[in-house]
Amino acid sequence: MKKLITIVLLPLLFMAACKKDLTSINVDPKSPLTYPSAAFFTGAQKNMMDLLQSTNVNVNIFRLIVQHWTPTTYTDEARFDLGTRQVPRQMWNAIYRDVIRDLREAKVLMADELLSPVPAEDAVIRQNQTAILEIMEVYAWFYLVTTFGDIPYSEAMDVENTQPVYDDQQTIYMDLLSRLDAAINNLDVSGDSFGASDLIYNGDVEAWMKFANSLKLKMGMTIADVGSQAQSIVESAVAAGVFTSNADNAELQYLGAPPNTNPLWVDLVQSGRKDFVAARTVVEKLVTLDDPRLEVFVTPDSSGTGHSGGIPGESNNYAAYSKPGDAFIDPTLPGIFLSYDEVEFYLAEAVERGYNVAGTASQHYNNAVTASIMYWGGTAAEATAYLSQPGVAYNSSNWKQSIGEQKWLALYNRGWDAWIEWRRLDYPALVKPPTAFSDIPLRFTYPVPEQNLNRANYDAASSAIGTDQVTTRLFWDVS
Amino acid sequence: MTFHMRKLSSLFAMLMLLSAFAYGQTRTITGQVKDGRGNPVPFANILVKGTTTGVSADVNGNFSIDVSNDAVLVISSTSFATREVPVGTSSTLSVTLTEEGGLQEVVVTALGVTRTRNQVPYAAQKITGEEVSQTRTSNFIQNLSGKVSGLELRQSNTLGGSTNVVIRGVKSITGNNQALFVVDGIPLDNTNAKSANQATGRGGYDYGSAAADINPDDIESITVLKGAASTALYGSQGGNGVILITTKKGARGLGITVNTGVTVGRYDKSTFAEFQREYGGGYGGYYEDPTGFFLYRDIDGDGVKDLVTPTSEDASYGGRLDGRPVYQWDSFDPLSPNFGKAYPYSAPANDPGEFFQTAVSSNQSILVSGGTETGSFKVGYTRNDDKGILPNSKIAKNLLNFGGSYNITSKLVASATVNYSNINGTGRYGTGYDDKNLMTNFRQWWQTNVDVKAQEAAYEREKRNVTWNWVDPSDLTPIYWDNPYFTRYENYETDTRNRVFGNVNLTYSPLDWLNITGSVAHDGYDELQEERQAKGSVTTPSYTRINRNVMGTNYNLVATMDRDLSEDINFKALLGTNVRKERRQFISATTNGGLVADRIYALSNSINPINAPLEADERREVWGNFAGATFTWLDMLTLDATIRNDQSSTLPEGDNSYWYPSVSLGYTFSKNLSTLDWLSYGKLRVNYAQVGNDAPVYSLTDVYTAVTPFGASSIGSVQGTRANTALRPERTKSYEFGLEMAFLKNRLGFDVTYYNATTFDQIFPVEISRSTGYNAQFLNAGNLRNKGVELSLFAVPVQTRDFSWNINLNWSKNNNTVEELYPGIDVITLGTFQGGISINAALDQPYGTIRGNDFVYTEGKRTVGSNGRYLMTSESNYDIGNMNPDWIGGITNSLRYKDFSLSWLIDVRKGGDLFSLDLYYGLATGIYPETAGLNDLGNPSRNTIANGGGIIMPGVLADGKPNDIRVSNTNYGSYGYSYNPAAAFIYDASYVKLREAVLTYSLPQSIFDGSVFKGIDISLVGRNLWIIDKNIPYADPEENISSGNLQGYQGGAYPTTRTMGINAKIRF
Repeated sequence: MKKLITIVLLPLLFMAACKKDLTSINVDPKSPLTYPSAAFFTGAQKNMMDLLQSTNVNVNIFRLIVQHWTPTTYTDEARFDLGTRQVPRQMWNAIYRDVIRDLREAKVLMADELLSPVPAEDAVIRQNQTAILEIMEVYAWFYLVTTFGDIPYSEAMDVENTQPVYDDQQTIYMDLLSRLDAAINNLDVSGDSFGASDLIYNGDVEAWMKFANSLKLKMGMTIADVGSQAQSIVESAVAAGVFTSNADNAELQYLGAPPNTNPLWVDLVQSGRKDFVAARTVVEKLVTLDDPRLEVFVTPDSSGTGHSGGIPGESNNYAAYSKPGDAFIDPTLPGIFLSYDEVEFYLAEAVERGYNVAGTASQHYNNAVTASIMYWGGTAAEATAYLSQPGVAYNSSNWKQSIGEQKWLALYNRGWDAWIEWRRLDYPALVKPPTAFSDIPLRFTYPVPEQNLNRANYDAASSAIGTDQVTTRLFWDVS
Repeated sequence: MTFHMRKLSSLFAMLMLLSAFAYGQTRTITGQVKDGRGNPVPFANILVKGTTTGVSADVNGNFSIDVSNDAVLVISSTSFATREVPVGTSSTLSVTLTEEGGLQEVVVTALGVTRTRNQVPYAAQKITGEEVSQTRTSNFIQNLSGKVSGLELRQSNTLGGSTNVVIRGVKSITGNNQALFVVDGIPLDNTNAKSANQATGRGGYDYGSAAADINPDDIESITVLKGAASTALYGSQGGNGVILITTKKGARGLGITVNTGVTVGRYDKSTFAEFQREYGGGYGGYYEDPTGFFLYRDIDGDGVKDLVTPTSEDASYGGRLDGRPVYQWDSFDPLSPNFGKAYPYSAPANDPGEFFQTAVSSNQSILVSGGTETGSFKVGYTRNDDKGILPNSKIAKNLLNFGGSYNITSKLVASATVNYSNINGTGRYGTGYDDKNLMTNFRQWWQTNVDVKAQEAAYEREKRNVTWNWVDPSDLTPIYWDNPYFTRYENYETDTRNRVFGNVNLTYSPLDWLNITGSVAHDGYDELQEERQAKGSVTTPSYTRINRNVMGTNYNLVATMDRDLSEDINFKALLGTNVRKERRQFISATTNGGLVADRIYALSNSINPINAPLEADERREVWGNFAGATFTWLDMLTLDATIRNDQSSTLPEGDNSYWYPSVSLGYTFSKNLSTLDWLSYGKLRVNYAQVGNDAPVYSLTDVYTAVTPFGASSIGSVQGTRANTALRPERTKSYEFGLEMAFLKNRLGFDVTYYNATTFDQIFPVEISRSTGYNAQFLNAGNLRNKGVELSLFAVPVQTRDFSWNINLNWSKNNNTVEELYPGIDVITLGTFQGGISINAALDQPYGTIRGNDFVYTEGKRTVGSNGRYLMTSESNYDIGNMNPDWIGGITNSLRYKDFSLSWLIDVRKGGDLFSLDLYYGLATGIYPETAGLNDLGNPSRNTIANGGGIIMPGVLADGKPNDIRVSNTNYGSYGYSYNPAAAFIYDASYVKLREAVLTYSLPQSIFDGSVFKGIDISLVGRNLWIIDKNIPYADPEENISSGNLQGYQGGAYPTTRTMGINAKIRF
């Protein structure tokens, strides 16, 4: 009988024998508790560029809004339907969650990685890395604040506060500029930074210094129409040294294999879809001006030799029209964060606005156009010939048109930036599709989840900016 | 004795022991069970009171059981009152049972404890194995539909698809809400392994409900335990209700049952698209020829331009099908008979309805059972082959069952079951919005000029992707859609699941009122899922393989006592401990960027080096202790109380232990009213219970995700959901009132229950503003209340020796309210879907509100803008529907005349909404008849307005006057998305279905005299025979994307398969 009892009790004994480490079971053996800080910086750079480059209609529809491209059949987004696919939500999420969060995490992890005491050489590297993380973060915030207006900023990125207030857009903007200044001051060109984890400059701190100043120039010029701060911002940035050639461009060189190809290759080639043709607006402009970039930007149309574009926002026969050029279906097409031609356009504008920068407006304008043509494989001679045409030659009396139209062409494939500049310069004159859901957006509406999850602050922000509509102008976009 | 003990060292040896030995010391009693008219009662249960020892009678009511002299036998059978018979000294027994109408007497309750009806103080509804096996479907879960009140089933129409099983409403906001299946004490994993994308309609396969691995022919009975009081002893696992399955037990002598049957199925045309036959492919009049509806190219080289279908366009707002010669998709296929030819543009002979083939299922099973004085066994094997309505789809199932018990001594019984299942799927149906789901193609994006059989011929001829949807006649690559036959024969999946579940039990009964049972129950399976995308497809060619390994083991030690404390008071008690260990492992690898060699599906065939496979390894352990006590006074008043403590690995140390009690009272008041002739039975039940629950695994600690490196640079990422170290156990509190009554000698009766349960302090990833840098954070938040009424009714209008008529009705109504989310949060989005739709938990509303954009209303009428099109809200945050039904019900009629019996079930769902992506897109692309035809002026609506065409959208203008603005219907969009908000595609999901019908003829017993046969039943069975009423056109309102919390959305819906078959059941 005792044996029987033993048998019966065996399972119990077995249970008792196992009853250890109950809590230690709850550790995910497949995911790290810590990871190198630089890896988050790499991820943030890639995520930011993927967002800027994508032409997925769920994420980035700016090429359609600025009428560089237009869809052939599924035209909703080209008619500014932001709601069905919740486009604002995807962008917002990507920047807050996939860019800024990872940049912040890199800072946190970096502190844990420091040896104590910190060797002098490492201290410089950390200082540079911290400054570069800050510059990338300012870069990311710039797109958020110029797209939505008031956004969660001072209370954002804090999981302990799940309902952050929206800050005034102008206050945010000025804070970003002061953060940028502080970061520039902290860059020490004698030291290294991220090395190969930096997909833009391979850790070159001098290059980052130029980038930061060029970004400062861009941010300064963006607010040139409002207030008086722009001038000193622009002048100090230029004095400190901005991009001086295409070699300075901030680019992310994509690779040949997924998931590290240019997202355009995924959207245009890998998907097998034939959704996009060049928009009539841009093709007509390129053709009219006999632009040397025409053959690079778009393919010939169905005639085999001519070029024509689809009607923006309307149904188009795919076979008939010019498509995005071969460069844009190359998986390794670099993505551009900031380019030399942009800098020269800003300098031209700075001169026009009477800021104290060297050179004439037309010199800078010509440099910009030439840089863009040469970037896309043209020659200096082609650029000179192009610039000599009346439709291209710089017109100081309507510099906004000259700069606006040429910048819009130079920012081909950079729809988001083209949209910012179009709103600011009001050129080229774009006409909305007849069946558009709204006027051409001047901002994006807030993501729907903000109404559900952060209602009070959402309401306050909506009324602070006027109303949560695409037609509400942001502070720097004066009519 | 020691001889045997050594043999117990392994399960295998034990099984051998059980089946091979006949050894014992106790006395054997034989007997027969009869009804009041002296006919044998087949298959009655005979249980030794106070033990789990028992046998079943055979078909003739004969049984044999080994007992000690002081034993009392508890004899029960469906529709009869249970009797207790002391064995005394006799060696034979004749037991007469009294019929009891439709109410069941002996009920299997939590942990397999059987109780008499009077001792069950909570809702527990029993159905027989026959009821779920007789229609011969391979997924018995579906057959519960309409048969149990409070149980809501939703099944998908895919072959082998999963079944959503929810009892008394959704309780957990984002967690699992599926009922727990327990088979002979083995909790069975019922995971529907699928991606988040599959659940939100973005493609993928529905690999089915794992509980469908149970052999329906082996099921003796099913008890559905609905409320927390009845499931409290199962702990948190049982919080969503328990479906308790008892398998058949071996009986004395040898019994062999063979089932053989075949069923065929055709798709139900009322649940598939109808296609307009007036216009062909295109999005409108903006192509190349003068009319704009065609491409215009000189194909034959005669210098004159020819009409060509715009093959790239997956819509049907094209040129008129008026018989003009047009170059079409196959005119450019060199191997096609139409190569180089223009042929008449006309409606095809075969629309996509012809794509569906006849489904064929065959089902063979054998169950052998037997027993001697000291042991019993059963062995079962079932083979099931299902061929679906889509080409190249089949699922084969092999199910093996073994069970045995052996009385080592009169006080020590060993028993075990082992079940093995092997499921092999090929070509399961693609789901959601995906090129592998041809319903997306046929219902949303199709050219009505394409003959589907011509597509078949093209594929058969060339075995390559000759699609109707070329990029252009000059670029013969597919643009959006593959040839549908290519999709089915080349881009198919295969899957295998091998599963073993079983248990080993040892019951020791030192005293006649005390049992101690130790058991180990194990359920484990390995799954391999392989998905292919062939070279030449629209989508990047690929091969994906997923391996899953799921294991759950339960160790139990339970002592039960059952003793009469006095003449009047019976006391039952239970004390036990349970350890549950679970582990899930997963690895998924896929090729990168395409395949090198054609039709080689191996990871090594990847064009680019493959990225690191996804891996997961999840473990959970829960340690539970529980106790229960039941006092019964005069077999009239039952007071039942339980308490359980669980300690879970998923909660923070120090706060990982939680207690929860239940208390129930049952009062059989009819005992006090025995003078009332008309009252046969009456019982009141009232109970209260709490259930605790632990957290999802790994929700306490933040970890990082390593992403595929960029070249040589590693990439790290923060996970989207923030962990929380301070989680507390979540809780459900519920109470329930029930009343059971039967009248007129049990010819009429009902069982009605009111319940009210609230689940609070829920642990779930609470969606938070992304400006925090996270999607969500694990929190204790939220409070969901379910209250409702369940009603079961039975009536026996006629009962004579030759003829009887039984009616059973089940009806339930559940009201669900989200009472609390997280401070400041009004809505939590459970899923976002294509079409700008989301399904949400919104404060003060039922769980599962459907949101999207809406019409703009003027005095309740749809407002039309100055362009003649509907005004729509720009935001997609309007409540436009709700997935919850108002009520559900089922009514079964059973007629028996001599050797014939006929039963049929009408299944009803009233209310609840669904959004149809099929109509959202399909009405825009001009597939359906209502997008063509004549307008109010009697002209073709697709004519230009100048030519008398156009339509007037019903509604009012901004000033409230009826809309009179005619808009063009020449290009796509008028009836579908683009010009209509999501709200236009919300449909009432009500239905009335003739769910099943079974006609059985039992060959007269007399012809078997002297033969080896004991009985032969021939049945004609039918399922999903007729949708008597529904409100959504072209689809089955019940069809969903898969099981899970996200219901109320249809995209790429499969038609219902109407099946009919014949089955022979032969008993030896």
